[in-house]
Amino acid sequence: MGMLDGKVALVSGAGQGLGRRIAERFGREGARLVVNDRKPSDGLDEVVAATGAVPVIADVSDPAAVARMFEEIEAEVGDLDVLAANHAYMSMSPFTEHEPEDWWLNVDVNLTGTFHLIRSALPGMRRRGGGRIVIIASEFGVVGWANATAYSCSKTGLIALTKTLARELGPEGISANAIAPGIMDTPQLDVDALDAGVSPEEIRVRYAAETPIKRIGRPEEVAALATFLASERASAFVGQILQPNGGTTRALA
Amino acid sequence: MTGGALVTGAASGIGAAIAGRLAERGWRVAGVDLEESGTELALRADVSDRAAVAAAVARATEELGPISLLVTAAGFYEMVPVAEIDDERWRRMLRVHLGGAANACWEVLPGMLARGEGIVVTISSELALAGGGPGDAHYAAAKGAVLGFTRSLGWELADKGIRVNSVAPGPTDTPLLPPDSPWRAPDYLATLPLGRLVTPDEVADSVVFLVEEGTYFQGQALSPNAGAVI
Repeated sequence: MGMLDGKVALVSGAGQGLGRRIAERFGREGARLVVNDRKPSDGLDEVVAATGAVPVIADVSDPAAVARMFEEIEAEVGDLDVLAANHAYMSMSPFTEHEPEDWWLNVDVNLTGTFHLIRSALPGMRRRGGGRIVIIASEFGVVGWANATAYSCSKTGLIALTKTLARELGPEGISANAIAPGIMDTPQLDVDALDAGVSPEEIRVRYAAETPIKRIGRPEEVAALATFLASERASAFVGQILQPNGGTTRALA
Repeated sequence: MTGGALVTGAASGIGAAIAGRLAERGWRVAGVDLEESGTELALRADVSDRAAVAAAVARATEELGPISLLVTAAGFYEMVPVAEIDDERWRRMLRVHLGGAANACWEVLPGMLARGEGIVVTISSELALAGGGPGDAHYAAAKGAVLGFTRSLGWELADKGIRVNSVAPGPTDTPLLPPDSPWRAPDYLATLPLGRLVTPDEVADSVVFLVEEGTYFQGQALSPNAGAVI
């Protein structure tokens, strides 16, 4: 028996990285799955092939695109039980040199895009009498990160959004929780490598050495946590920010 | 990974729920408690007594093999206005909660270190995260100390293959809260986003998650708390 048997779930940004692993795990746990990404990709096709998910393409920073996407979701699978808001855009630059348009793109995709998804998912969750919202934040949003003001503040915004929604929606049986992972082995590390002026391999070695447990995180570890939070087993979690990070920070979030 | 697990406070409440869940998941559980627990191996000991804990761990290792999982759930709760907390009450609170966790770690960790693997989960409290209210000074201090101990041990053992984390439950429906406890009052429960107490099984499920799949958590506190601390 799967942890998400019979649950209707949407994972955004499911074509690669954490989202792909979350979608694959949700599928294995019995969820009726919808997978979103900004554009078609081999990764998304592979997730669809592995899980039988319904793919929906939309740029979540575009409110009209998200509205259209939810019409498609309603028609294909109906109301959502679970929303895993995982999509992200990250770019790094010293603050004063960051092009405003690109700076805002971090915020508009990560924070505003999640707002769009939640706004569209809520009516269906309310019809179902409950739901689970799992938001992927970041360690960067807990402790900050040099040259990543845009990404970090978008993620801290997601943490505040999670806590506020938890208070606002908890009484309706809709629980919001967030995961703030430490350094994970995903294509996003290419951005860190570029900023540091080293190869993707070198940044992985460097980050592993800086992590108390001496390795970077596996996307499957975040997928396992997202599955737990989406399941009945986490029924007492609301407004929590969980930090799988290998011991890098003990800051409360 | 399954094998020998030692759970303190296993005779009732949260500890009993954890011991039960772990047994369901294939662990061979030794329960340490002042009372007889319903675990595979029931050992009676006061966790604040280092020698008694040492004897219990020796016996558990003998019966079940190496202890690869330690869960420290032994504890008690009382509300006492701070001016009325005498030395004995203060000492007892600290010795049972912090001492209970430390004593069990002192006895179990040498084996884990020798094998290069192990899992430790302490049970702290939402009051360790946010402090308590009137009458909670000694309990909150003790649970805060447990959390500080957990985080520090997590750092110290991070590169030794031993995972150390805490579960910090919100107010939980156990015998520790008498029927007239303010934590059960409808006015208090109405302040919680979920409007209810946490169940011991929900705390146990969090422990099981940490044990089975929380492999990138170190020095962290997971808090199933019904929204008591956000």
